[in-house]
Amino acid sequence: MSRFSGALQLTDLDDFITPSQECIKPVTIDKTKSKTGAKITVQADGYYEESESGKQKLQKVEITLQDCLACSGCITSAEGVLITQQSQEELLKVLRENQTLKSAEDSDSEESRIIVFTISTQPLLSLAHRYKLSVEQTARHLAGYLRQLGADYVLCTKIADDLALIESRQEFVERYRDNAELCMLSSSCPGWVCYAEKTHGTFILPHIATTRSPQQIMGVLVKQLLAEKLGISGSRIYHVTVMPCYDKKLEASREDFYSEANGSRDVDCVITSIELEQMLQEEEQTLEQYEPADLDWPWTDQKPEAMAWAHEATMSGGYAEHIFKYAAKELFSEETPKELQFKTLRNRDFSEICLEHDGKTVLKFAIANGFRNIQNLVQKLKRGKTAPYHFVEVMACPSGCINGGAQVRPTTGQHVRELTQQLEELYKKLPRSNPDNTHTKQIYADFLDGAHTDKCEDLLHTSYHAVEKLNTALNIKW
Amino acid sequence: MGRLILEHTLQGHKGRIWGVAWHPKGNSFASCGEDKAIRVWSLSGNSWSTKTILSDGHKRTIREVRWSPCGEYLASASFDATTAIWSKHECNATLEGHENEVKSVSWSRSGGLLATCSRDKSVWIWEVAGDDEFECAAVLNAHTQDVKRVVWHPKLEILASASYDNTIKMFAESALDSDWDCTATLSSHTSTVWSIDFDADGDRLVSCSDDATLKIWRAYPPGNEAGIATPDKTTVWKCVCTIAGQHSRAIYDVSWCKLTGLIASACGDDGIRIFKETSDSKRDEPTFELLTTEESAHEQDVNAVEWNPVTPGQLISCSDDGTIKIWKLSE
Amino acid sequence: MLSYIKRKLSESDSVANSSSNSNSNGSTTAAELVRKTSQMSLDNGAIAYGEDALLHELGYRNATDLQETIYDLLRTIRDPEKPCTLEDLNVIYEDGIFVMQPTRSNVSVVRIEFNPTVPHCSLATLIGLCIRVKVERGLPHNIKLDIYIKKGAHQTEEEINKQINDKERIAAAMENPNLRELVENCIKDEE
Repeated sequence: MSRFSGALQLTDLDDFITPSQECIKPVTIDKTKSKTGAKITVQADGYYEESESGKQKLQKVEITLQDCLACSGCITSAEGVLITQQSQEELLKVLRENQTLKSAEDSDSEESRIIVFTISTQPLLSLAHRYKLSVEQTARHLAGYLRQLGADYVLCTKIADDLALIESRQEFVERYRDNAELCMLSSSCPGWVCYAEKTHGTFILPHIATTRSPQQIMGVLVKQLLAEKLGISGSRIYHVTVMPCYDKKLEASREDFYSEANGSRDVDCVITSIELEQMLQEEEQTLEQYEPADLDWPWTDQKPEAMAWAHEATMSGGYAEHIFKYAAKELFSEETPKELQFKTLRNRDFSEICLEHDGKTVLKFAIANGFRNIQNLVQKLKRGKTAPYHFVEVMACPSGCINGGAQVRPTTGQHVRELTQQLEELYKKLPRSNPDNTHTKQIYADFLDGAHTDKCEDLLHTSYHAVEKLNTALNIKW
Repeated sequence: MGRLILEHTLQGHKGRIWGVAWHPKGNSFASCGEDKAIRVWSLSGNSWSTKTILSDGHKRTIREVRWSPCGEYLASASFDATTAIWSKHECNATLEGHENEVKSVSWSRSGGLLATCSRDKSVWIWEVAGDDEFECAAVLNAHTQDVKRVVWHPKLEILASASYDNTIKMFAESALDSDWDCTATLSSHTSTVWSIDFDADGDRLVSCSDDATLKIWRAYPPGNEAGIATPDKTTVWKCVCTIAGQHSRAIYDVSWCKLTGLIASACGDDGIRIFKETSDSKRDEPTFELLTTEESAHEQDVNAVEWNPVTPGQLISCSDDGTIKIWKLSE
Repeated sequence: MLSYIKRKLSESDSVANSSSNSNSNGSTTAAELVRKTSQMSLDNGAIAYGEDALLHELGYRNATDLQETIYDLLRTIRDPEKPCTLEDLNVIYEDGIFVMQPTRSNVSVVRIEFNPTVPHCSLATLIGLCIRVKVERGLPHNIKLDIYIKKGAHQTEEEINKQINDKERIAAAMENPNLRELVENCIKDEE
């Protein structure tokens, strides 16, 4: 079973089975000038090009994940690439090598790296359920485990979740003031973004919010703000995030999130709930067997009272709810109830809510989860002359991020829906974060030169790129 | 011994004809092919003629056409990646979403659901939300290859799909989350499963394959008399009969007559064959005999066969040779 | 010469099976026939009794004549990438063409085997497509073609064989304008 969302599994599928055939990306090989007609021979240890100057071993071509993202061909081969570049094996290897460097006293040796883990909320719910712990306990035991693996810092995503909501609502209000007919679509789900880029390119992309996802905001904070505080270069930090789905690995690998300045990606590795479960299984340990440890809060002097936070009542970051409440107040001075009542449409993964003002519907929001509803949404957008919604929170997985493709699987006999309901119960018990707090204020003031600044635009927003279909006949799958 | 008597040979399409489908009333049928047109034929006097040509709906080959159970709507699946819904000579709706060729389309018994499948390996279920409105109810990624055919169960909301991955899969809606799940995988064929058809009650399924065999499958629901184990309390499908050695090339279509229980097959060796369950056939080990073979039913591959849903023994076929033939079985 | 020997070998075979052309036989004969056909495909091309009549009807002197006619069609197909023909590259060769036992509906069956230049050749499916289109268009009569990669000559032999013998996939491929153009260029007769 694939750990990618359905949206990604469907994108430009491949008919071939083996990896060598899967990748259709034309590869450029640095070639010394030779006459045409050179013959390539195959030997056990690789490919050779025969020319007058004799045999020359051809460099083995490596397809990176970035290559995959830039290509409109298959997406399935990216899975293979991900498995080698962002696997738990790779993570453990990096951590081991780093431990060796740390313990080496020889000062001439290569500098060791600072290992930073960021844990998002949904994997905590998944692991809490798996190991029958409270969510906060899970966070502390997991921190203990990660520290034993070599983590120097273990962080939660609260600060980035808060910032993502503030930036998104601001972006929405600006777009709405500019043109109330337009529709804004959420941007935090990489499965959805990748599907839109590959399949609906220029038609959908202008609608997608430019606000970065919490994972990538966290990436900036760690590689820039934390690095600054530690007085080191961002490239010396190895940043690992713990996420509920494989699609996040693709997001971390986007070229947009590679920082030229510090020569590294904002997030170096993404590890998922199910991979953590496997790692623990290999150690023949449960989470509880690791000594609990505190999580770090390097952002402000005062730590928040908890490390696992809910954002509004929906399970994917609370975008639709939070932006709706904010926009109602900001644009129409309307107060909204603490719990918004979304109306379920054809299925429980598609719901909507409206705000009436002076007898007119001024705000119409929706939440569309799962690939089938992405389809219904896209069709609605394509058919309608006016946008059906002002804002839609779009997530590629049914039930949203809480049911991410790489969350721990249900035990045999249990339906996914049942498990998801149990995780939802856990989520509802978490304290609710209000993004307007002293921490975010301080980040804006000290790090981002205030709100609405160029630096905010630069560090908290991104852009999307329609992927052009490869039309060279040689590469067409048929 | 029975014999197939050729009643009519119909021409009209340009090039290969991929599909034919009887209207539920049995007095007209639709055909489609590489000329990107749908023809609707009906009988006047003693001859069949084209009453309507539906063109401009698709940009590439039309692979299959199917009437809604009420007979009002016609759905067409095309290599242009879309499915079109026609009503009274007009294209009412175009369903988009598949990445590439749509191979098959099927209406559920109630007419409230439509299924499509594609080379993109997915099976889609659409809810009929209005005259020209279809909502995507599920996108099923259970197959690992090109999906060749989708067919709804004749009585229940269960969907069967046949694939290039050599398997047949069954799908049903889960009561828990109104999403559709794969409930059974039927493996036994050694190559592409081209087509499938249920018997009148839906307890059995016949499949035909590139491996030149037909297979009969039986449903064993939880608590079945045969004592077949049903893990997870879901119906198990078992292959109870394989008809091998009768066809010499790929079998492209199969039709299980809901009136007579006869099975007709369309083969890449240009032949049409009719099979009948023997009188001593056992429930869990059924046996079928070859009733008759029309070796040169067409000049080229036979692509589709379908029994008339109203007139027993009337069979329609179409072929790469560009003709449609109407046959009568005399037993 | 090779085909002569093959024919000799198969004649002894086919005598035992000479009744297979009558269609009044029950299922046992049919089953036998299918088994026989599959056996013969393992023998790399046997010509059964009764074949000559069909070939004469189609205007061929014998199986070798049909074989040569097909080879002549194939040898000029150009490689999709390189400025050579499939014959130059030894991708196709005369004894890779086998005239098989015709169908019971009496249509010629020909098996064509080809040898991709490298075992990971990504163009093998395209070459298969070119071969099929060229032969089907080039012959004035119906024919059943089975196209295969030479055994052991490709890493994904089975998948490719399956794809290039799937008529639906082929039909769809030829409706893709880019693919079609490429195939047309490869099979176009040089002035």
